[in-house]
Amino acid sequence: MSEATQTRETSARGLALTLLALLVLAGFSLTMRFVHIGAASYFVGLGVAAIKAALVVVFFMEILVEKVTVRLAFAVCLSLFALLIALVLADVLTRSVPPLQNPPGSAQRYRG
Amino acid sequence: MAEQVAGHFESLPRQAHAARLGMWIFLGTEVLLFAGLFVLYAAYRTEHPHGFAVGVENNTVVWGSVNTGVLLVSSYTIALAVHELRRGKQRACALLVATTIFLGMCFLAIKTGEYLEHFRVGLYPGGVGTFYRDHGEAGTKMFFTLYFCMTGLHAIHVVVGTAVLAFLLTKVLRRQISERAPHPLAIGAIYWHLVDVIWIFLWPLFYLIPGGNP
Repeated sequence: MSEATQTRETSARGLALTLLALLVLAGFSLTMRFVHIGAASYFVGLGVAAIKAALVVVFFMEILVEKVTVRLAFAVCLSLFALLIALVLADVLTRSVPPLQNPPGSAQRYRG
Repeated sequence: MAEQVAGHFESLPRQAHAARLGMWIFLGTEVLLFAGLFVLYAAYRTEHPHGFAVGVENNTVVWGSVNTGVLLVSSYTIALAVHELRRGKQRACALLVATTIFLGMCFLAIKTGEYLEHFRVGLYPGGVGTFYRDHGEAGTKMFFTLYFCMTGLHAIHVVVGTAVLAFLLTKVLRRQISERAPHPLAIGAIYWHLVDVIWIFLWPLFYLIPGGNP
């Protein structure tokens, strides 16, 4: 039995539809670049990016048809990435004391 | 000649699974390599939202967006190449892999042009250049330093991905990779998709999000 017959890969039509969705989402992101929505642009820009990345991972990289060991490796990687970002943001977004303008060890300290 | 089963594997599907698992774990390390830089970006953007907004406003959004289209289409062509190979369409597969390589080279050419445009306006890596005389906001130097680091590291990955695909193309042309065992091309394609996924996040962070205080 060939390897190909054992996998439920994305069809050619599915691949084309995925590309179409990716290009439409990219167009939407680009349009939103010129619409001033303030802080919401973070959520729109990164939210659309996350959807596009999910489309690539699911339909192009075919993560859902991989065995559980591969999916587990992917999940661990994603979790560590999310944990790293979340903990750093939790730190920098909740600081009440601004960072030093001239911290010890910086070159500026020795300019006299 | 089609790929043979190595002695320590009981079957070709099991060997293919081991290869794919190895590639996914490697991709995990690649993601965590970029994660450190994404964290730096998040921390500095939180400290200097205005300086980063100035950086986004002065970046080359047209070329960055064209490159996004190039990479998205290249992801499609390599996915389709694997699809065709699984159906035994060796010639179509080779053509699609070659197209992907061409698109990767287009991406690098555009990126080079972008860097040259930055240098022309006096914008160099490391916060050096005449550009900062007119844009002295705190954080703008850090924005472009991260921009050169992250897009440069990404470009290195595009070079590696292109070289890997060129190697795989020669194997496809010699029928050393065929429908019987398409996994070498499939795992090469997965690497290329990761390069695409990373750019999908770099594009909004450096070209699209003018922001405001989060």
